[in-house]
Amino acid sequence: MQYSSQKVAYPYFALALLLFVLQVLMGLWLAVNYFAALPQGLIDVFPFATARAMHTNLLVLWLLLGFMGGTYYLLPEETKSELHSPKLAYLLFVIFALTGVVALVGFLFGWNQGRPLLEIPTALDIVVVIGVLLFLYNVGMTMIKAKRWTAIQATLLGGLVFLAVLYLFGIPFYRNLTIDWYYWWWVVHLWVEGAWELVTAAIFAWVLMKLTGVERGVVEKWLYVEIGLFLFTGIAGTGHHYYWLGAPRYWLWIGGIFSALEPLPILLMVIDTMRHVKDRKLEMKGHIVWTYAVGGAFFHLLGAGLWGFAHTLPQVNYYTHGSQVTVSHGHLAFFGAYAMLNLMVFYYAMPRLRGIEEQAEGRGKFGFWTMVSAMFCLGLAFGVAGVLQSYLERVLRLGFMPAQDQMRLWFVVAFFCGVGFLIGLLVTVYDLFFPKPLAEKAKGKAALAKAVA
Amino acid sequence: MALSRGTAKLIFFLGTLSSLILFLILTVDTHRQVKVLTHAENLSDQVVQGKHVWQKYNCNDCHTILGFGGYYAPDMTKVYQRIGKEGIQQAVKKPEVAFANGWRKMPQQNVQDQEVENLVAFLKWVSEIDTHDWPPQDSKKVASRAAIRMVAAAGVSPGAALFKEKGCFNCHKLGGVGGAAGPAMEGVGKKYDLKKLAQYIMDPVSVDAKSKMPKQDVAPDQAQQIAQFLADLR
Repeated sequence: MQYSSQKVAYPYFALALLLFVLQVLMGLWLAVNYFAALPQGLIDVFPFATARAMHTNLLVLWLLLGFMGGTYYLLPEETKSELHSPKLAYLLFVIFALTGVVALVGFLFGWNQGRPLLEIPTALDIVVVIGVLLFLYNVGMTMIKAKRWTAIQATLLGGLVFLAVLYLFGIPFYRNLTIDWYYWWWVVHLWVEGAWELVTAAIFAWVLMKLTGVERGVVEKWLYVEIGLFLFTGIAGTGHHYYWLGAPRYWLWIGGIFSALEPLPILLMVIDTMRHVKDRKLEMKGHIVWTYAVGGAFFHLLGAGLWGFAHTLPQVNYYTHGSQVTVSHGHLAFFGAYAMLNLMVFYYAMPRLRGIEEQAEGRGKFGFWTMVSAMFCLGLAFGVAGVLQSYLERVLRLGFMPAQDQMRLWFVVAFFCGVGFLIGLLVTVYDLFFPKPLAEKAKGKAALAKAVA
Repeated sequence: MALSRGTAKLIFFLGTLSSLILFLILTVDTHRQVKVLTHAENLSDQVVQGKHVWQKYNCNDCHTILGFGGYYAPDMTKVYQRIGKEGIQQAVKKPEVAFANGWRKMPQQNVQDQEVENLVAFLKWVSEIDTHDWPPQDSKKVASRAAIRMVAAAGVSPGAALFKEKGCFNCHKLGGVGGAAGPAMEGVGKKYDLKKLAQYIMDPVSVDAKSKMPKQDVAPDQAQQIAQFLADLR
């Protein structure tokens, strides 16, 4: 930590982690719903739909809190100035946290807009919009006052503004269901395959630069190419959601071609990461951050790139659309692309915010490998269920529930994968809240090993 | 690699702008075509009220519609064609009865009669959207292809093929396969004769006043063929 206003990031990170745990607990409950026969009385008061709304909104909320915290942490070092208003940042934290609590409690009482992922009622939408505008004001003023423009700042600000603008398309009530879903994807797809990619690419480039000491010029040059490819494939690639919703047939071509190219920028990011790591100018310090950086790049490629590609072609998607295959892809992609990036930022920033330059890595590595393996198995379990569903329900036409009968076992498997994930996550959260400084002895050993080499 | 910063910037601007312009042009054209593809002239106030009901009870976080939403319960895109008005009414008003035999249940949300009417109008309108023949499980084309293959391959009776094509397995079990909402079909031929069976399929209540089965949208000769198949299941 070099600037005192970086401290505002800490509560954002802390709350994000707690919400992440809550999200996983809710996910376990959803898995139970999928395989167990629950009594009618319980379903009536706490239906699957409510739990799902909580699971997905918790995800969005904790990731956004993570992005905001990451932005606040990075900005002073990047602009070489204090934040415009740390007080506003704290105030916004309280506002966003309260909005989240009201939304979650509201769901329990049916205060809900009834549109998946955009469930929060219009009144809360307005609070979010005002909050985001103030956040952008704080970020923008910091950059403007500092007058040290860099490609990383521009990408970050561009991504955040894009994110905020897209949110507006999710607010109105649309009379026509097809148009409703058309713009729903402007929020959801253009967030995860557009705006969020910009934000994460900027944060990722910044952390890589800090870790490896590779010159800014080189990092930023590749940042341009990456985000260019992300937006080129991602914007028109929205078409892969427009195959079957009552839109013209040309979307099958546009969506198919552009989204087939979507793995390319992610592949470039992986190659780029590996090259920066190889050409590093600094000593490898803080191994767990490196682990998340490289692991995240690979999991991003696997979950978002390859798993997405696997069912994005119209010929395949006709049978897999809206099945557990989508669930499999969703889990692997969100974890690989966004959860791991946020965890990398938390591991970079949280120990430093507490004055620990280098953290012992035993618990962190355990958490990393447990979560990565459990999430991979979870993706496979949903994937097997999804292939079964596509074949039994859609090809053999056995009906929805008869197909679910055959998939039941795989939801039990998914539940146990989820338990494994929770264990990894709890260790990680503990490790982040109570970081253990690397012992002097270990540091000495490392130095000795280096001297000998 | 010898890539200059200027070239990198050019890649960024060209890539982003070309994709954005293409996307916006197609968005304008889509708005124009959606009117036809969704039969916007049938989008009455009642349909819109039905959409409000759909959202009010958060149906979409369990059911998919147009393939989007929760994957916990069946897709609702073609539900009107699948189970009709009465089927929808029964499931929404008395889920605890309709799904009593299943291991996955639907909540009783005390939906008002008028709301159910509006919801049905909405789902009817949705079922007429041109989705390029999605979903496959409700596609007539995929169904008749599958039925022709089945009849040809195993010499199965046309009634058996129709039994599958018309989605009877959604509610009835046969040979251990199928849904649990209705009774299993083994031995049904002992209970009713051919004529009664055909009549039951088209108008269940006329044969059994206590029947919970909705009327089926099948032609009389098709009902006859299904009945022939069932009558043989003694």
